Amino acid sequence: MIVDHPDTAAWVAERFGWQTADPELGPQVPADQLVALATALRDELDFAYVVYCVAVHYPAEDEIQPKFKEGEEPPPVIPAKPDRCLVTYRVRRLGPGTTTFGFHLWVPTGETCPSLVDVWAGMDWQEREQYDLVGVVFDGHPDLRRIMMSEDWPGHPLRRDYAIDTRHHPWR
Amino acid sequence: MAVTPSPTPEPATQRVGGLELPVELLRPAWGDPYLDLDDYDAESDVMALNLGPQHPSTHGVLRVKLFMDGEVCVRAVPYLGYLHRGVEKLCEKLSYANVTPIVDKNDYVSPMMNELAINMTFEKLMGCEPPPRAQVIRTIVAELQRVASHLLWVGTFCLDIGGAIGGGASAFMHTFRERELILEIFEELTGCRFHYNHHTVGGQRHDIPAGWDTLVKQTLDHIERRTFEYEDMLTENPVFKARTIGVGVVDPKLAMACGVSGPVLRASGGDHDLRRDAPYAAYDRVDVDVQVRTEGDIYARYLLRLAELRESIRIVRCLIDDIPEGPICALKAVKLPGAVKPKPGFAYTAIESPRGELGTFVVAGPGKRGKGGPNPYRCKIRPPSYHVLSLLPYIAPGENLSDIIAILGSLDPIMGEADR
Amino acid sequence: MAVDESGRNYTHPVYGYAESLPGADLFLTKADEFLTWGLKNALWVFPMATSCCGIEFMAAACSRFDMDRIGSIARGTPRQCDVMIIAGTITVKMAPRVKKLWDQMPEPKWAIAMGSCAISGDFYRDIYSVVPGVDTFMPVDVYVPGCPPNPDDLLMGMRRLQEKITQVRAGTWVEPELAPDTAGFKRPEIGRLGDPDRDPRTSQDQLDSVLNLGIHGEATRAPQADE
Repeated sequence: MIVDHPDTAAWVAERFGWQTADPELGPQVPADQLVALATALRDELDFAYVVYCVAVHYPAEDEIQPKFKEGEEPPPVIPAKPDRCLVTYRVRRLGPGTTTFGFHLWVPTGETCPSLVDVWAGMDWQEREQYDLVGVVFDGHPDLRRIMMSEDWPGHPLRRDYAIDTRHHPWR
Repeated sequence: MAVTPSPTPEPATQRVGGLELPVELLRPAWGDPYLDLDDYDAESDVMALNLGPQHPSTHGVLRVKLFMDGEVCVRAVPYLGYLHRGVEKLCEKLSYANVTPIVDKNDYVSPMMNELAINMTFEKLMGCEPPPRAQVIRTIVAELQRVASHLLWVGTFCLDIGGAIGGGASAFMHTFRERELILEIFEELTGCRFHYNHHTVGGQRHDIPAGWDTLVKQTLDHIERRTFEYEDMLTENPVFKARTIGVGVVDPKLAMACGVSGPVLRASGGDHDLRRDAPYAAYDRVDVDVQVRTEGDIYARYLLRLAELRESIRIVRCLIDDIPEGPICALKAVKLPGAVKPKPGFAYTAIESPRGELGTFVVAGPGKRGKGGPNPYRCKIRPPSYHVLSLLPYIAPGENLSDIIAILGSLDPIMGEADR
Repeated sequence: MAVDESGRNYTHPVYGYAESLPGADLFLTKADEFLTWGLKNALWVFPMATSCCGIEFMAAACSRFDMDRIGSIARGTPRQCDVMIIAGTITVKMAPRVKKLWDQMPEPKWAIAMGSCAISGDFYRDIYSVVPGVDTFMPVDVYVPGCPPNPDDLLMGMRRLQEKITQVRAGTWVEPELAPDTAGFKRPEIGRLGDPDRDPRTSQDQLDSVLNLGIHGEATRAPQADE
């Protein structure tokens, strides 16, 4: 059933129960339900156009104890965060009332993210690029290899801990 | 007795992804980008032909490994990255105002589009609106850039089809002569023929000099007359038609799934244009007449781009006489380092570039003390050329080699944008 | 006397005999000047057009600026060309291919580095995937600065190349001093060709990387000692 739902975030909240904190980023999706959400968006809400799939690397952070004055209650400790990547997607419904809808998930380093190649063919190259540049491994991708860098390139350049002026003998 | 001819029936359409697409272009099966050649039964040996990173057709550095069964391709594997300049990584080191001349070089054929896209995203993060004069100047400059880009496309496409020495070079010389006039207009406005660094966060850097609108109107009159020359050369040319009609038909559903919009989708019946459907800058003041064709082949894309060229000329003429007075930039002192510090957040904006949807997704990091830093945390440019090239493994199988060159030309990829 | 692009004299038994005949000097000098005139006014160009400078190169070849009036035409194969114009950024992935194409050009051959990206890597020079200037792996005769250079400037560069060819073949060419490093200018760490403090293994490693390309090769690094 095709629905031109005016508020996709509300539809998702009603159907799956995930709330949207940041409208640009959309709801946070658990990894095992990503393909289900994608299929529902494509089949029922007519989002057939891929805008992007972007991975953003956040390095590990230590626990932070915010400063407080003597006599005050100590504020809660900000917990330590592991090395992780934010994988965010965006799809679009075309036509006169064109809207985009984004959704995201957090992938700790070492875990994989399910691939959306079977839902939208365009996710193929997007996921390859994010694997190449940020290092997120997509589970279920038919041919996950480097696309921008050459196949024997060490490291993932767009990670925050990759130095921008890395040497590469014998060319630079 | 006069017989009124029965009207040609409208092609049957099916709704896919929000658009009404012509049914005859929707195919159940596309080429297989992961075809296993061991299982493929060839008439003779399958040959791997390397359409290497250096080839005379002017698409920049793209490598396509074509597996050919005789003259027909069975599998195409594009390789990118020969122009990967790490623009996204570089943007993380620069302040917001300094990013503009860097992204100028992405889609190097239409630099104004790249600048517009990224500065619109920065303005969304900052929460500031450019003043009306800047919006109108942005629209005029974007449409002039579209004219220049399509002129270049016509020229280089004819080079691909006709050869660098033969007939292709004629159209190439003609369209570049007109393109030089547009570059002159931009030189009057910004000082550079190319890579203008004209947009900035909050508006424009250069104001319109006196006499610019007369120059623009004269140039556009001249260019419009010349478009009829190109039509004379190409549209009814039997060689051109033989090479382009019925060749390289793109299934619009596949195009949407791959993220392809712009002339490729519109030539296959997809009536989608961000200028009309999600207007930005001053496009809400103009009625953009979106050109759509339903044949989906290369000839349709050629006619569509020529029609879009004329439409852009018409849009500029609508706007050039009524530019509102006022400031051209909403933020003062944009160039000072640390002047632009958006709060932490995410933003995405998209514009309609001559190749499709050009968007930028920017993550504004927390900076020190969580109030926003002077550099973007992650800058992702969503280039239409990258998506258009991902279409190639699906549409190349089954085509002859010479047709693949023509298809690649008609898709109009720009490698600076695809590789960044 | 016949010279190649690095100014070395060609030796040929017939030419050597002809030089020894009485009165031959005047005739041979005039003949040489005639050949030089023919050579420098018919420089066929191999455009290594990777990015934006390629568009300005195309504009230089078109009717307003017209490279054909100085005898130059762009050819698609290196075998037929005299001059390679490197127009655009050369990345680490592309560099072995550029070097291979340069090696495939028959002598005498010259190179023009067009645009800041080819001269020094422009503002991309510190990026992990960009070669900081094309003179780190191939000899460059003329540098045309700009981002991108005006087509007028490119034609001026071709003019300078013609002057250089005339002077080299006449034996009067003086190699100009490379500008001393001004404050803040960062030389490429890999070293330019001809730098005295460049690691001598670099050129050999670059050549190994090119020979390692093969048909399907993706090599960007020279094969390591333990591979």
